[in-house]
Amino acid sequence: MSARQRPVELILARSLLATLSTPGFLVDEDGIVVFFNDAASVLLGVRYEEVGRMGPEEWGTAFGPLDESGREIPLEELPLTIALRHGRPSHARLRIRSTQGVHNDIEAAAVPILTVQGTRGAMVFFWKVDEA
Amino acid sequence: MRVKIWGARGSVPSPGPETVRYGGNTSCVQVTLSDGTLLALDAGTGIRSMGLGLAEPARPVHILLTHLHMDHIQGLMFFGPAFDPTSEIVIWGPEAPDASLRDRIARYISAPLSPVEVRELPCHVSFNEAPHSEWKIGPATIRAASVTHRGPTLGYRITEGDVSLCYIPDHEPALGADLRDDGPEWISGFELARGATVLMHDGQYTSDEYSRRVGWGHSRLADALAFGRRVGAKRLVVFHHDPLHSDDFLDALQGDAVERWADLGGEPTSLEFAVERRELSVDRLPRSAASASATPEPRPARGGGAARGGGGSAPSRESSRSP
Repeated sequence: MSARQRPVELILARSLLATLSTPGFLVDEDGIVVFFNDAASVLLGVRYEEVGRMGPEEWGTAFGPLDESGREIPLEELPLTIALRHGRPSHARLRIRSTQGVHNDIEAAAVPILTVQGTRGAMVFFWKVDEA
Repeated sequence: MRVKIWGARGSVPSPGPETVRYGGNTSCVQVTLSDGTLLALDAGTGIRSMGLGLAEPARPVHILLTHLHMDHIQGLMFFGPAFDPTSEIVIWGPEAPDASLRDRIARYISAPLSPVEVRELPCHVSFNEAPHSEWKIGPATIRAASVTHRGPTLGYRITEGDVSLCYIPDHEPALGADLRDDGPEWISGFELARGATVLMHDGQYTSDEYSRRVGWGHSRLADALAFGRRVGAKRLVVFHHDPLHSDDFLDALQGDAVERWADLGGEPTSLEFAVERRELSVDRLPRSAASASATPEPRPARGGGAARGGGGSAPSRESSRSP
């Protein structure tokens, strides 16, 4: 009938992101993007409702993440992946590409969502460098 | 499965002539399974009266705590079997990152709040963090799930045979979710309550009151009804009455709720407000009533719909009709 019930911590994280003007992503424990907010959609060039859930390989490449020399950053080096896999915060400066091909230099800070049952997901917040 | 409500008041005991019918004791529901196994859902002040009524204190009593706010544990110190060396009490509750369930309860059952320490209780008492998967107590299967409230909080579902009681007395599922349009996986407590024979659910506030208490962890009545319909509960018992709501006020609120429940497609007789000392039998409904209780599942927007705080904009008819 439906997807599995989300942990209450993820439900509340999604609610928080939805009300923030800070761009943010939310992934579940499998690394699936289950939400990004309207502020993020401005930088990404697309709304979450248009793309829906995205797996790690998909979001890891869809929006670029590139380093300062334009090299694609491997999935396992992205802050969100580090937060999710290692259960610790991670921060990086990187470049993302919107669906219209616009590049933005950003700072990204990811934090794991830790619960009594372990890591249930992660959130990443990001800022355009010229706004940081 | 038989159920007796010993306390349905929220937040703080509210005795007095204006609450004598619905009762002033805080959360406690006695559940008697088919083999006589006894459960107490929460240990608010209502558990004191429950203890006085038990004929055989020696058999295990399983106390399932949803959370450790005072109105859900205050009666523990006044539960007769706790002071009977022949009785056995098994306490279940939510896990927390800072301390064990026993140590957290001991913050209440210790000086200066209590003259007795946990270790001095004469009964045989054990403490168990509720498992993350289903477990058995007597002939029933118990499921616990974290729900939206302040601090670690569980809802419980007790299933025996083909009937189930779902108990979520403190719950704010509309916080950050649209109860009508969001995908069910994004609604706190949905899976726990889905299709329950009886759902006991928080309905503490009117819409007017809720507008000043968003995020406090409780539901306005309109959201309790919407949640009950969305999960397809066969019967909804509105629980955790606000301490400021008098009997007359609750009567008026209930009358309006029944109309609203019917507007949502529910059977008017399948909605009631919890009343202290009322007994319920959790039975399978006749097929016609059960089919009337089924709620068509709305199709969510792709990706489950967007979260928005505040719980939507359901009309607050009950507040305009209430005294």
